[in-house]
Amino acid sequence: MNLTPERWQNAAVANTQKQDESFIPLIQVFEPHRASLPPLIPYVKEFWRRRTFAIELARFTDKAEYLGSKLGKVWLVLNPLLLAFVYFMLVTVIRGGGTSKNGLTTLAHILIGLFTFSFASSCISAGATSITTGGRLILNQAFPRALLPFSSSISAFYQYLPTIPVYLAVIIIGKIFYPKTQIPTLSWAFLWVPVIVALLAVTAFGLALIFATMNVYFRDTNKLLSYITRIWLYASPVLWLPEMLHGWHRAFLYVNPLGPALAANSSIWIEGKSPTTSELIGCLVWAVIALVFGGYFFTSRERDFAVRI
Amino acid sequence: MPDDLAIRIEDLSITYKINVDTKRTLKNAVMRASKGEKVRMRKVEAVKHLTLDIPHGSVVGIVGANGAGKSTLMRSIAGILPPSEGRIIVNGKISTLLALGVGFNPALSGRDNIILGGLASGLSREEIEAKTDEIAEFAALPDGFIDMPVRTYSSGMYGRVAFSVAVNMTPDILLLDEALSAGDASFKEKSFGRMRELCAEARTILIVSHALATVTELCDVAIWMHKGQMLAKGKPQEIVDQYLKFLDVGALPSNFEDM
Ligand SMILES: Nc1ncnc2c1ncn2[C@@H]1O[C@H](COP(=O)(O)OP(=O)(O)OP(=O)(O)O)[C@@H](O)[C@H]1O
Ligand SMILES: [Mg+2]
Repeated sequence: MNLTPERWQNAAVANTQKQDESFIPLIQVFEPHRASLPPLIPYVKEFWRRRTFAIELARFTDKAEYLGSKLGKVWLVLNPLLLAFVYFMLVTVIRGGGTSKNGLTTLAHILIGLFTFSFASSCISAGATSITTGGRLILNQAFPRALLPFSSSISAFYQYLPTIPVYLAVIIIGKIFYPKTQIPTLSWAFLWVPVIVALLAVTAFGLALIFATMNVYFRDTNKLLSYITRIWLYASPVLWLPEMLHGWHRAFLYVNPLGPALAANSSIWIEGKSPTTSELIGCLVWAVIALVFGGYFFTSRERDFAVRI
Repeated sequence: MPDDLAIRIEDLSITYKINVDTKRTLKNAVMRASKGEKVRMRKVEAVKHLTLDIPHGSVVGIVGANGAGKSTLMRSIAGILPPSEGRIIVNGKISTLLALGVGFNPALSGRDNIILGGLASGLSREEIEAKTDEIAEFAALPDGFIDMPVRTYSSGMYGRVAFSVAVNMTPDILLLDEALSAGDASFKEKSFGRMRELCAEARTILIVSHALATVTELCDVAIWMHKGQMLAKGKPQEIVDQYLKFLDVGALPSNFEDM
């Protein structure tokens, strides 16, 4: 190759300068792999280093989606709100109308349950398609692919946040019309909310990793997922109360990855009660299982994604 | 690996697996399993046993017919496609412009896309914000277009932004795949200038181009790829001449048998 000696030297100088400027491993080796994990510590470091990318991607995607439609953001809140009223009517009718005594409590339970459930389910469903719709980005940039479902989770969280004031507004207005209804006063128990929501988010992110990987191999996974989500909603303590389960039936709550978190969340908001130990353990165990299993499933296959997109 | 090498490629092969039959869906998989059929896979060997050393500071041009495996090679150097066999060692920070509009979101403005592109390639928020104006200025879009949605751009404007992002990342290794094709004459002149600057700073550049003049003008070494193999490597003018002769009369170089 026709390199002059000066240029060789220049190259060497430039090379040593860079060593201390950046802490990314400068020498990268790409080798064949067989469904094995990428080196975990560099992966996690790189993931963490590029977290702003995931956050900004979520922000910009939302911006692009609601650009020009002012009503877009309103629908985000209105949609679960209307859904909640529909389910509320349904539940009241099924129970035979005689629930005016604790009608507001039922409504509150359905509202907060539905809002929180839609947070988890949109983490999962948006995350599931994040890889297959990110084709261009995946084919043209090398980065830890888990950032894409992570970005979807952040986006879902941004959409979840404004539902909390909506919930509070509904409850306060309801209290004015039904002054006899017990609503919890502000207590330390509410400090558990961020903990429970964080554990729920981790669980949902882990599940999103699993479905995102499956969706690369089977493109109809996300269609299947929409049915799964619906069944999942009925199987979760949203339209029914966790207290309705007795004895060994309570196990039903714990085989559902979202069950313990939704139950704990509802009892904080409705009764101002701190989560029980078993609920906490349930949340924690599901979060760990989902993250470890989903993380393994996803990262061991993610280098295949570019070939299969 | 010797210190002066930017990229070392050892016996690299890359195979795409293409499912021939139907769409990959769960439904089809279940149907097929119930009938006891097997999935028919076709293997496309896009790169075959390629060995190549690229020293720091060299500007390498890659030519070859459509489907020769040029883009595939570039993607594997960027760490996007894993090798099926062999090994790639890369020494340095890579910036890629592999196809026009790397992850560009058409609903967002050019400026937002620059920020997103920079973050995707691993810059921090402050770093990319400091560079955004410089990049926007380099792209030199007509009045105020940089703050308009990208979907309103012409393909040349699109290409300008993408190219500006890639060359302003201060990469050690710059991969350009058909990057210069969309710009007009004045932008082409400017981008040639910028690339010469990058060469002078001893950065390594790989250029895939069907505009053979680009290769002869900018590169100090050229590679001819044909059906996944490297047919020839040498002085750009010689390689381009050989390649043109091949396009004319279909003559492969005489030493092809040895490779
Ligand atoms: N995503 C993919 N899935 C399956 N096969 C692919 C994919 N991308 C490329 N190929 C195949 O790999 C081979 C090499 O393609 P590649 O894109 O590397 O060619 P190229 O040299 O860049 O061509 P061009 O000059 O048209 O850009 C082709 O035979 C192509 O069909
Ligand atoms: Mg190509």
